[in-house]
Formats: sequence, structure tokens, C-alpha cells
Amino acid sequence: MNSSSEAPFTNLTDCAEVQVPSQVFLAIAVASLSENLLVILAVIKNKNLHSPMYCFICNLAVFNTISSFSKALEDILLLFTDAGHLNSRGPFELKIDDIMDSLICMSFLGSIFSILAIAVDRYISIFHALRYHMLMTMRRVMVILSAIWVLCGTSGALMISFFVATTVKIFFVVLFFTALFLILLLYVHMFLLARHHANRIASMPGAQARHRQSGLRGALTLTILIGVFVACWAPFLFHLLIMMICPENPYCECYRSLFQLHVVLLVSHAVIDPAIYAFRSTELRNTYKKMFLCSASRICKQCV
Amino acid sequence: MTEYSNQSRAGGDYEWHYEYYDEEEPVSFEGLRANRYSIVIGFWVGLAVFVIFMFFVLTLLTKTGAPRLEIPDPSEKHDGLGECVLEVRGHVESHSLFHFYIHEEERARAGRGAVIGRGRRSGRGQTDEDEHFLSSFNIPNYVNSEPPIISDSQSAAPKSLEPAHSAYDVIQY
Repeated sequence: MNSSSEAPFTNLTDCAEVQVPSQVFLAIAVASLSENLLVILAVIKNKNLHSPMYCFICNLAVFNTISSFSKALEDILLLFTDAGHLNSRGPFELKIDDIMDSLICMSFLGSIFSILAIAVDRYISIFHALRYHMLMTMRRVMVILSAIWVLCGTSGALMISFFVATTVKIFFVVLFFTALFLILLLYVHMFLLARHHANRIASMPGAQARHRQSGLRGALTLTILIGVFVACWAPFLFHLLIMMICPENPYCECYRSLFQLHVVLLVSHAVIDPAIYAFRSTELRNTYKKMFLCSASRICKQCV
Repeated sequence: MTEYSNQSRAGGDYEWHYEYYDEEEPVSFEGLRANRYSIVIGFWVGLAVFVIFMFFVLTLLTKTGAPRLEIPDPSEKHDGLGECVLEVRGHVESHSLFHFYIHEEERARAGRGAVIGRGRRSGRGQTDEDEHFLSSFNIPNYVNSEPPIISDSQSAAPKSLEPAHSAYDVIQY
């Protein structure tokens, strides 16, 4: 618009911000919405899946749905703003922007807590298997889920209201690293026990062939689980850290110019999550087969 | 138009703001010694190293079952499973953490027959020890999608078992 005031900027700021087109965000949001809604539908429809573990997986899917829905809405509103239908500085638009940011923040926090809850549930089901059904009653699961929702809702609202304060960013970063540390701890411990059992089984005659393969697959599963979590969340968290630590440094500026790419990674986590957690379950896949076969046979009957 | 030129001549209170960055002086890119994106590259390299290192550690544990460490003191008993998590003891020692856990399970299993399918323990062969181990364990989150073929005295022990998803399968996939 005003080239005279732009020129000094382009000379000094070599790292221009990398723009990701909104179509990419919309596509990712739509994919994530459809996957997670499928997961929620399957868990609700199948009575076998009304157990604590699947409640937590469904909870994760709900948070992912909310995050992709709010992100899609935000992108659509941004498109309207760019087209000129909305005023980006109007009070109503700012309020809507705040509400959507709180929803996104709440769903990000919620998905971290849900992933942690899934890990703790799996841990208890392996290491306290005999007392599991007494420890994890459905009532306790509902209490835990409501606590997660209340915590994430209030934190999301507070964090967006006070985002400029450094405490909020520090809180987010600390929360992520604590969750990552706990998840690593729990899963590695479970992995070691599984390996120990596999070793005992393999030491008996006749089971030698499957031993190595299942070991590698276990290691791969765990690496994918933790690797995806870290790869999707860490760039954004590192961005927050850099915003606090070195706002003036040119190297840090170049890292911050990739902000939209990091947000793409963050929302793609909602797409990958069902593949890692929900779709690995045979029962869930069978539910889909039944759903689609039933609807297909119904359509065929109507055609004939 | 004249207002614009007046303002630009007066030093301009027209400011161009980025949404994400604070109002600070523009960052100078003069005299950078390394590549501009060195932090970005360093971050991703560190991340990749972390993930690959974790994968190699896990595969090493599966291949060798962890190198033989010092024989633990027989007098020390591990009461809680939560402690000493990072103590890697993959080998089968009579006093190792997990072996203690296995023994505790088997003792509990022998004592409480109600939870487990009693009829199956006698018929346990060594060839499908794996499946029987999993099935007679009453694993939580164990989805029995098929109805029992033979009605047992134990209603909680269906004969045909399809481990749809157990927490174990997560790791042993």
C-alpha cells in the first residue's frame, strides 16, 4: 500500500513470514473433522466400546473435533475479512476472534490431557490389571473427564484473556514438557514389561519366529506415538519459548517467520491422532465395517 | 491525497503493524555469521536425533534384552511397581521387578479362581501359551466381540476369544 514505509522493512527483515494458504488449513480441518466424528460415532454406537479406555479415546476425538471446527471457522472468517465483508478491527469481530482462540486453546490443552489420560489408563490396566475394574469405574471416568473439561475450559479462557503475560506462555511450555515426560515414562515402562513377557514366552519352545518381529513392531509403535506427539507440538512450543527469550535476535526472527507452518503441524496432529489411537483397535474397525456394510446392503435392497 | 503527503513529510504517524510481533525496531540482518535458518535447522536436527535415538534404544532392548547388569541383592524387595522406572532389567532374574510382578500375579491367580476361567488352566498347552496367557488374565479393556460358544460355570470366561483391543496389544503390535 504505502511503499515508502515498506522499503526499509524489506531491506532489513530478510526472513519474510511464510504464508500458508487458507485452503490448506481448511482441507486439514475438514479431514480432521470427518475422522474424529467417525470415531465418536463408532464409540457411541457400539456398546462394546463403552469402556474407560474408549471413553478417553472418544474424549480425545471430541477435543480434536472442536479444535478443527474452530480453526475452520476462524479461517472462513479470515477469508471473509480479506474479501472485505468483515472489519478486522471491529469490536464484534474481535470478540468472535477471542472466543475462537479460547476454543482452540481449550481443545489443545484438552488433547494434551486426553493423551495423558489414555497413557495413564493403559498403564493402570497393565500394571494393576487385577484391580483395574475397581480403580477405573465408569463413575470415576466421568469425574476425570469433567475435571479435564472444566480445567481446560477455564484455562483456555484465561490464557487467551491474558496471553500477553509471559506466565501464560511459560505455563503452556511447562505443561507440555511435563506431559511429554510422563508419557515417555509410562509408555517405556509398559514397553519394558511387554518385552519381558515376550522374552519369557519366547524362551519356551516353538515361539521363536515371532519374537523379533513383534519386538520391532512394539518399538516402532512407541516411536511413532511419541515421535508424532513431539513433532507436532514441539515447533509451536519452541516458538513460544523463542518469543519470550530472544525477540530481537535475527536467528530467532527467522524461526518465528515459520509460524504458520508450525500451526499447520499443530492442526495436523488432530488428523493423525485417530490413526494412532482409535483406528488401531480391531473392534472399532469392525464397527465401521458393520456400519458401512449395513448401509450398503440397505441401499442395495432399496435399489432392487 | 494532500493529507498523506503532509503526514509523510511530517515524519509520518502512519505505522505498519504485524499482528504477531511487538512494536520494536526492525531486526537488523547485517553481518550474520551462520545461515539465517540455523536455529530452525538445529531444532529439527535435534528432534530427529531424539526420535531416532529413542527408536534405537527400544530396538536394542528388544534384541539383546538389555545387557546383564549386576545381580541385585536378594534381600531387597520391590514393593511398589512405580519406583525405579528407569532401571532397565530386561533379563529374567528371579528378583527382578517384573518377575516379581509376574509371580505376584500367578499367586493371586492361584488364589482367586473366580476372576479367571477355571476350566482353561488345566488345558493350557505350551504351544499357545501366548493366547492363553492373555485370555486367562482377564485383561482390562479386553473387548469380547463374540458370544461364548460353550456356557461355562464362569460367565466371565468366554471360550472363543478375539482380543479386539487390549492395552497389551498396543505395545506388542
